[in-house]
Amino acid sequence: MPELTRAPIGVVTASAEAGALDLLLVPGRAFACRVADDELLLLCAPPVTDEVAREVATRLAALDPDALVIDTTDGWVAVSIAGDDARVSFGLLSRLELPVAGFLQGEVVHVPAKVVAGDDGVLILVPSIWQAHLHDRAAKAFGHTGPLEARPWAVPTS
Amino acid sequence: MGDALRFEGRRVAVEPGDTVASALYRAGVRTFTRSLKYHRRRGLFCMTGDCPNCSLNVDGDPGVRACTTDARDGQVVLRESGWPSAEHDLLHMTDRLRRFLPVGFYSKTFIRPRFVWGLAERVIRRATGVGRLPAGRAAGAKPARAVHVDLLVVGGGVAGLAAAAEAGAAGSRVMLVEERRLGATVWDARAVARIEALAQEATAAGVRILERHTAVGVYEGPFVPVVGPDEVLHIEAARVIAATGAVEAHAVFPGNDLPGVFLSRGAALLGVRHGVRPGRRAVVVATTDEGRTSAEALRSTGVEVLIHDGPVIAAEGSGRVRAVIIETPSGRERITCDTLVLSLGWAPRDALLRMGTDQEVAGAGEVVIPGCSLEEAEASGRRAANGRGEAASDVPTVPLASDGYVCLCEDVSLHDLEQAWDEGWRSSEILKRYTTATMGPCQGAVCGRPLAAFAGARADAVATAGARTTARPPARPIPLEDLAAGVDESIEQRTSLHDRHLELGARTERSGSWSRPTTFGDIEQEISAVRHRAGLLDVGTLGKFLVAGRDAAELMDRVFPVRVRDLAPGRSRYLVALDGAGYVMDDGLLAALDRGRFYLCSTSGGAPAMEAWLRDWIDRWDLHVHLLDQTAQLGAILLAGPNARTILERLTGDDVSAGALPHMRHAEITVADVPCRALRVGFVGEVGFELHHDRSRGPELYDALLEAGRPEGAQPFGLGALDTLRLEKGHLYLGQDTLPDDHPAKLGLQWAVAMDKPGFVGKPALERMRALPLERTMVGLRIDGEPRRGIPLLAGDRVVGRVTSSARSEAAGGTIALGWIRAVDGAFPTELFAGGSRTTVVPTPFYDPEGARVHA
Repeated sequence: MPELTRAPIGVVTASAEAGALDLLLVPGRAFACRVADDELLLLCAPPVTDEVAREVATRLAALDPDALVIDTTDGWVAVSIAGDDARVSFGLLSRLELPVAGFLQGEVVHVPAKVVAGDDGVLILVPSIWQAHLHDRAAKAFGHTGPLEARPWAVPTS
Repeated sequence: MGDALRFEGRRVAVEPGDTVASALYRAGVRTFTRSLKYHRRRGLFCMTGDCPNCSLNVDGDPGVRACTTDARDGQVVLRESGWPSAEHDLLHMTDRLRRFLPVGFYSKTFIRPRFVWGLAERVIRRATGVGRLPAGRAAGAKPARAVHVDLLVVGGGVAGLAAAAEAGAAGSRVMLVEERRLGATVWDARAVARIEALAQEATAAGVRILERHTAVGVYEGPFVPVVGPDEVLHIEAARVIAATGAVEAHAVFPGNDLPGVFLSRGAALLGVRHGVRPGRRAVVVATTDEGRTSAEALRSTGVEVLIHDGPVIAAEGSGRVRAVIIETPSGRERITCDTLVLSLGWAPRDALLRMGTDQEVAGAGEVVIPGCSLEEAEASGRRAANGRGEAASDVPTVPLASDGYVCLCEDVSLHDLEQAWDEGWRSSEILKRYTTATMGPCQGAVCGRPLAAFAGARADAVATAGARTTARPPARPIPLEDLAAGVDESIEQRTSLHDRHLELGARTERSGSWSRPTTFGDIEQEISAVRHRAGLLDVGTLGKFLVAGRDAAELMDRVFPVRVRDLAPGRSRYLVALDGAGYVMDDGLLAALDRGRFYLCSTSGGAPAMEAWLRDWIDRWDLHVHLLDQTAQLGAILLAGPNARTILERLTGDDVSAGALPHMRHAEITVADVPCRALRVGFVGEVGFELHHDRSRGPELYDALLEAGRPEGAQPFGLGALDTLRLEKGHLYLGQDTLPDDHPAKLGLQWAVAMDKPGFVGKPALERMRALPLERTMVGLRIDGEPRRGIPLLAGDRVVGRVTSSARSEAAGGTIALGWIRAVDGAFPTELFAGGSRTTVVPTPFYDPEGARVHA
């Protein structure tokens, strides 16, 4: 069974004109997930969330003066699946087909989710109102007992 | 002592490679089940899991096919049908009473008095003997795992393995599922050898082969659920190849269901693979080469074999075959025997293929070329892998005789079908529904073609009468609990205060998709706390949206009927959301922020619809608006009551006085070091502060408020108290108090609609409706009796409305309610009865009608 951990993560939401988001230079400390034409989620380590938000707000202001950049960390909860069979085990939680690497969104444990796949595992984010649901279902699927250990998520290069 | 299973208390030896069926047959068991309706003896027939004849209880699981279940040491096996036993079944008398139990008898009898059906149904269910679900044993729902492949091959015979090997070698991700072990249902050694060789080739090509995995159906995608021993696979395949083979055709003639009647593959499998002679003297009626070959194989096992090709007129015997009547060129011949073996053609197992019509689903091998040779099957598989699958062949059915059983699962005879036809059920589809033929565990695998042939052959049939009935999942019988694999029966949304609530002893309930506290102990005490001291309510469930962008004000103004343009930063307004027909969809609060932004709160259950609705209008009007759903990100706590301000002042340095932060204003303040947006609201009818904050800070803010409120007698309250508190103020619960076609006037909410605005969603409809008389309205009620929600309101003896909310209110001095009433002769009645109690229409609010307490 794969290793299941909580993944403390900072999340910044940027809403702006699609063209502005296309041109945005994403800070190197963040991983960008384009969730809609006019919305970007930036994932980063929690300590740098403020910096990322400020940097993105400054850059986007020049591209779209109405852009909205908000630290939405509290709106999300993440778990990470690591190990050799992480990708196969992801099938216990979702019908999504994982890309080799990168971001996708869809249903995981029957709730809307954002997923980042990489060489070293899979990161799953769901709105924090489903925190208990995600933890319970993932732990049950992977036979994990006890509280989930927190482990930092290594931000991939966008 | 060797391996053995326990069969109805006796020891039955198990040989290597045995199935439960072969072990029992070797031990002399001939009656495996009793039929559903007439309790006729049924014995081994197909040996490939296609018919229902060998369904036994194995280790507590009912309905297990003995012929495809490997026998194990220590297994406990029971027959489930028959009373007092399957061997000596008194219920067999129903076979003698057939004329009183015609087809569809349960649709025609036990109708009046109505309670009789309840009793009859129980008796009928027990009498059928199809097994009982294991009561007292928790369903062991298997996990479900999604798998993505380029090609899924269903069926591990020669064609399936060849297809898989070919596709695997070409670099595709291929999975092959086989419901048994590879080659387990094949008696021919040459075929077994070829299967082994192809399995090696496929494995070397990277094909993942899963044995004991049963494909349930083909859904849009193609998506194929596959049930395995330990999990259910949800397979999304770019392509599916159904290489599910064929079962030999089911022939209908009198006595065709007697124990001793076999399909030739089944008889050969029993004799050759398991070393168990099906009988001593067998009549083999074969019209196929394969049938004649298997007859020779059977002979080699020591069975006396008599081969014929003439039609079978009847099988005779009581309890098992004793003789067979065959039509020969010289006339009818009666042959004494104990076994009748049939090879009269094929019935392709094409259910999956038919479910996958118009999808990337192809057939290979016998399912499209029934009766094909091994070489043809292999070539067919390789062609299908390369995208050149065959179309299904038209298979001739065996002519029907004068009577006999068409549907073995449901005990439907040819006579039954004739009777149903005469009653007017004149196509295969409605014959199926009326007689239940094809609706049993075999799902038409055995009887589907004879049923269609029957309907198609009738002289008075319309052209489509003989069409095959629709193929639907499950293609093979599966345990009910497997259907639940991967189902999350309860998906609960929680606020950050959920654990705190439980620590405080809250009883929680589902409110929509949220888990919320009903009460922390005593609802009356909680109401009293809010009215006389202070109460805390978790309202983090409310929909919360940030609306920004240069067109934000225009969006709000055009969407909502509330006045927006004059809403200065720091002010809030109640709003209703109307649909295009002017009906109330939702309500909430709109707070104007600086920089032209808005903070919009909707009801807890209405948030997803509100977001979708606003996004729709943004797109439709091409507005420059950024909408951010903050429902999950932000928590919210309502602090309400006459002491609320005092408590808040203990925790904040900001000015929260009535002058600085009056009713329907809001401000950014810091409470117990937690940044909050404080909204002055009055849903419960007291001074109220809704403190919206980052979700992660919720528990500390809640703790601080409880601690600071202790000297003031503050306590948490739940939905139980809220229901009464808001009712005392005459505030509606949308959905509970309202109906889908309620416009603002019906609800007394005209004051929330600025009809003088140039336009808003629903305005044209409201203008049209304004000219119409109001036929129904929401009113406040006082009831001289106990509160009861949902009861009708009567004016005289006419039902004129319904109570939608009701509570005993100390503050209002009696039972109060909201309800809707219809106009009677153009006027709304004011004196009513509800549940036998005198009920009077009264103005609302019931409590503090001037609103002095809210504005304090």
